[in-house]
Amino acid sequence: MVLSVAEKSYLYDSLASQPLIRPDGRLHTQFRPIEIFTDFLPSSNGSSRIIASDGSECIVSIKSKVVDHTVETDLLQVDINIAGERDDSMIVETLTSLLHKVLTSEDGIDVKKLQLTKKYSFKIFVDVLIISTYSYPASLISMGIYCALNSTWLPKIISAFDDLEVAELPTFHDYDLVKLDVKSPLIFVLAIVGDNIFLDPASNESEVANNGLIITWSPQGGKVISPVKTIALNDTFIKGFNPILLKKGIKLVEENASSVAQALETL
Amino acid sequence: MSRLEIYSPEGLRLDGRRWNELRRFECSINTHSHASDGSSYLEQGNNKVITLVKGPKEPTLRSQMDTEKAILKISVNITQFSKFERSKSSHKNERRVLEMQTALIRTFEKNVMLNIYPRTLIDIEVHVLQQDGGIMGSLINGITLALIDAGIAMYDYISGVSIGLYDTTPLLDVNSLEENAMSSVTLGVVGKSEKLSLLLVEDKIPLDRLETVLAIGIAGAHRVRDLMDEELRKHAEKRVANASSK
Amino acid sequence: MSEVISVVKRQGGFQYSVDESNIQSDDDEDIYMSDDGNARTGKMDTGNNDTESGSQIVTPGELVTDDPIWMRGHGTYFLDNMTYSSVAGTVSRVNRLLSVIPLKSRYSPETGDHIVGRIAEVGNKRWRVDIGGKQHAVLMLGSVNLPGGILRRKSESDELQMRSFLKEGDLLNAEVQSLFQDGSASLHTRSLKYGKLRNGMFCQVPSSLIVRAKNHTHNLPGNITVVLGVNGYIWLRKTSQMDITRDAPPGGSTGGGSSTSSGQNSTNGPTGAVSLNPSITRLEEESSWQIYSDENDPSITANIRKTISRYANVIKALAYCEIGITQERIISAYEVSMAYPNVGSLIDRETMESIGNDVLNGEKMRGNAM
Repeated sequence: MVLSVAEKSYLYDSLASQPLIRPDGRLHTQFRPIEIFTDFLPSSNGSSRIIASDGSECIVSIKSKVVDHTVETDLLQVDINIAGERDDSMIVETLTSLLHKVLTSEDGIDVKKLQLTKKYSFKIFVDVLIISTYSYPASLISMGIYCALNSTWLPKIISAFDDLEVAELPTFHDYDLVKLDVKSPLIFVLAIVGDNIFLDPASNESEVANNGLIITWSPQGGKVISPVKTIALNDTFIKGFNPILLKKGIKLVEENASSVAQALETL
Repeated sequence: MSRLEIYSPEGLRLDGRRWNELRRFECSINTHSHASDGSSYLEQGNNKVITLVKGPKEPTLRSQMDTEKAILKISVNITQFSKFERSKSSHKNERRVLEMQTALIRTFEKNVMLNIYPRTLIDIEVHVLQQDGGIMGSLINGITLALIDAGIAMYDYISGVSIGLYDTTPLLDVNSLEENAMSSVTLGVVGKSEKLSLLLVEDKIPLDRLETVLAIGIAGAHRVRDLMDEELRKHAEKRVANASSK
Repeated sequence: MSEVISVVKRQGGFQYSVDESNIQSDDDEDIYMSDDGNARTGKMDTGNNDTESGSQIVTPGELVTDDPIWMRGHGTYFLDNMTYSSVAGTVSRVNRLLSVIPLKSRYSPETGDHIVGRIAEVGNKRWRVDIGGKQHAVLMLGSVNLPGGILRRKSESDELQMRSFLKEGDLLNAEVQSLFQDGSASLHTRSLKYGKLRNGMFCQVPSSLIVRAKNHTHNLPGNITVVLGVNGYIWLRKTSQMDITRDAPPGGSTGGGSSTSSGQNSTNGPTGAVSLNPSITRLEEESSWQIYSDENDPSITANIRKTISRYANVIKALAYCEIGITQERIISAYEVSMAYPNVGSLIDRETMESIGNDVLNGEKMRGNAM
């Protein structure tokens, strides 16, 4: 988003004032409304489409494959495609590694839930397609993955669990499915302007932020988990911030994340 | 255990259709108004295609500009999850996809009135979320709808459809099982005429069968055109009624 | 306690399902081959394509008329004597001109349009301005007021210093002076009511919602001024001295024209004697470096900021409901929105719809419905 010097100055002064004044009047803990659609790709095990009020859109597909987990160590693969960006661009690669880290961390997806037999497990492929985005999309992507995994159905196994001596692959029921019971962590993006910190920065707010924070939250323990790191939301206003704001940010996430998760659950 | 019969003696295909039946066709336009000037979402059988048209707009690169007419750019994104079996690698720079893009540009560049938008760029972005045969035809339909939604002037609709040839029987609108089992042809038909904007034959077809295949294809494309037109009119009527009440 | 996030969720479809009438679609219909090889479908074409309001809807390739007497305008093309539509839209027959107005299209500049634009590029003696159209507009160096007044000679150093006047990203309001052959615009800011924009916030609506009017700069209650660019780009700012005097009733002949220049004394005397439009002699007195300043007014209070945010949200609400945007409607929507003391609650879809409905109902009751 391109803004003039006068615009940025106005926005900065508003966002740095005490109490802060956001351009759309939101509270520092208020998210913009979103729309979610799920279960629309029959050829995938799970799917979600999430549309933000500024037109940002993200489609997530979950597919599975039976693999030998004694051979295959990584049971979760994340692929991100941003329309108009090259696969080797910085934004795509950093987001892919961030999401992979979040999902495969200790507090991320419980891979024990993917296990089928003593030899085999499901490998989950998370494919993210970002049709359009106007600000740092990590939060949108994590919400999309959360909803997609929440509506993922995997084939139901009917062969025996102990197959160490067996040569064949597991067999499955003809039509029964089992709902995948995992909860993806959620990534929250926060912006810091002056001494203020707030959730869900819009694109114009991101343009004047002194710094940005990525804070991950696990629904498993209901707590903030790693990664927690700073990100530059623009390249003109960046400066250091008071570590107190880091504590504040973590507290903001701890206080509001469960309502966000709950909102994503309700149909 | 029943063998899969591509075309049963009773005249039924794998999905229960007859030789001259189209798959389920549903479309809508103006689906992505924030991100584009014109957009469409199309479901043709199990094909699911999102099309975004951005433009006519200022070209991003000076070198792209043509002082006489608009530049048409088409990028097709076949997602790795579009087929039942997830693709191992991205299709981004795959030759097959680049050929599809070129064919689509050729299909539309004579139909869109590029000369009334000089010095601009018309950027078309297509995302294939799911495919099940005859994808080229669906791409053509999605692009036609999105271009019309963007208000870009063109001579007529271009409707796309595929026709398979099973021995001597033509099968309209093939799915992927049929596509893998026989030769097929894709047509891009201009409006209600019998003119072709695209004829895509990548398999062997006996020449004496071609005329029948084209005839059924053109008829099928006309039907697709009518379906697209029906949806467009419905959308237009709603918009006009909405605007007049304010 | 306000809700943290509002989520609307739907399961089982890519989008909201289309109307019920689409479900009984006949797309599994057979294609019949008649002897001459032409196909007939089993269904009759719908005959009349007039809408309830009487305007005829046409789609690309459709025959509009075969009467050669018509002059063909935009959205049509002809083969032999037949006129066909090239877009999906409504037919317009004005005098002898037959054209088709597309349902949706980008802003097309017309001479005299008051627009808000953003500098995209600084070029050779000109700026290229993004006005949301098919092409960027051009703002020639000779079409702007240079500090120092009208008699100031243009020097070579001006060309090199162009960025010190307007640089990439700067927002300005201007008027469309003329159109080029290909329909792109040439702008000018040769009046003090045009120029760089500051002290406020930008927002954008579809250009079709802004009606061309005599005046596009309006003062709103709460000490806010809005500039409604015909191209859909909107600027909301704290009301300036000049904004106040522009709207002041015509008074005496003398009196200071207002401006932001420091040297000039702007009198807003008890008689309210002010000049309505800065005359050409004022230009040289009042043009100073301040017209290209990037600095905002330091005295913008929190209240002003909140009011600007509120106006921005109600304008977005009107746009969401596809209601044409005018000064009266903005004020009406603002007043309706006061029922929601928290400005941030206005971004909710239901609230936006409710505000839109209230504005329209209010108009109907006052008998202003169009």
